[in-house]
Amino acid sequence: MPGFFEKNKKFIAILALFLLLFWLVTIQVKAGRFTVLETPVLAVSGFVERIITGTYNAVINLGRGYVFLVRAERENIRLKNDLGRLRLENQITNELLSENERLRNALGFMKLTSPKSVVVQIIGKESSPSSSTITVNKGSSSGIGRDHAVITPDGVVGRIQAVLPGTSRVQLLTDPGNIIAVRVQRNREEGLLEGKLDRCALKYVSYYVDVQVGDLLVTSGLDGMYPKGLPVAVVTKVRKLESSSFQTVYADPVVRTSRLEEALVLVK
Amino acid sequence: MKPRLYVIVFLLLIPLQASLFGPLSLGGVTPDLGLAILYCVGLLTGPIEGAVAGISMGILQDVGSASLIGFSGFTRGFAGLFTGLLGRRVLDIQSPSNIIFLFVISLADSLFSAIFLEITYGSVPVFGLFFGRAILRAATTAFTGYGILRLITGKHVLPWIRRRELQKEF
Repeated sequence: MPGFFEKNKKFIAILALFLLLFWLVTIQVKAGRFTVLETPVLAVSGFVERIITGTYNAVINLGRGYVFLVRAERENIRLKNDLGRLRLENQITNELLSENERLRNALGFMKLTSPKSVVVQIIGKESSPSSSTITVNKGSSSGIGRDHAVITPDGVVGRIQAVLPGTSRVQLLTDPGNIIAVRVQRNREEGLLEGKLDRCALKYVSYYVDVQVGDLLVTSGLDGMYPKGLPVAVVTKVRKLESSSFQTVYADPVVRTSRLEEALVLVK
Repeated sequence: MKPRLYVIVFLLLIPLQASLFGPLSLGGVTPDLGLAILYCVGLLTGPIEGAVAGISMGILQDVGSASLIGFSGFTRGFAGLFTGLLGRRVLDIQSPSNIIFLFVISLADSLFSAIFLEITYGSVPVFGLFFGRAILRAATTAFTGYGILRLITGKHVLPWIRRRELQKEF
């Protein structure tokens, strides 16, 4: 028997290491994810990602500048048309906003304030079999902090998970550790949206609640992380089982991150 | 390989995967560069070094992402151990059969992750993930791994590494 251990001591050590890792993972399932060594790893990866993305963008922009110059005039006309239309829309929106504010004042509601935002560039996209994150090129020196909301004009992207002075890591909506309080826009029913790798699932929705495919889910603001009313996901599948008191609702995020280049971080 | 070389390769792995492979993604799916490199390490070094390399790489990837610390270490460790054992059976390292082996390992890695998340958190669309993402990911990873394997077992790279290690030993 001692001969067996002596002969296979390396394999036994590896087996012990596997058991240790498994134990570590099971602890985190209950206690939450450990955040050891995050800063040095993010510092190294952020630095290299910045160099690679900077070089890539420089090459792409150079190509765009010369090769696609022909399209510029046509695009310019289209953008001018868009600008005129958007100016008009903006005037109408401003009118509605001031009217809304007057009415809110009349009703004694709290004054609406638009949150301060920082524009960030995506410099890295990580998508392992067990998580979904992206890296952005700004951090605490721009006022960004942990759990700040990351959005685009289309909707919610995720939340800041780790911060350094010049780099931050964003946990996407589809990451299994990400939970966000949402509301069905159509009927104001509430639920918790959890990441499920390539889509999201709405949890704890009662069997009797009316949720339909195509419903838009918006932030409820109850988690204190995201402002109220931002588009989050669209319901793609609803499954009801007689044996369960809850229904399973799947939803796809409104923002597809595969081609995302810039985003806004809402600084608290 | 020397530990210093491992540290450099593993530290560069996360940013390379995130920034270089990101723009080249097919439908949001990118090849798993870490697994591809690990496959080469396992084949060329053996089960023990493969497992240790897999565990170290996995833990580093966990720290650099949002997954539970140790989870990728666990799965990557097994992948390294398995490829190390496979390396003892594979006679021709440059054989295209490595594409199939790496495809199966990548598929098993994704499937294990999906099943673990389903057991832990529930409501994970395992079949959707398998057919929608894991197969495409495994295919791209397999071809990337085979490309890396061909590159490092080519005429210059592997003999150069071995020569340098021998020179240092003497």
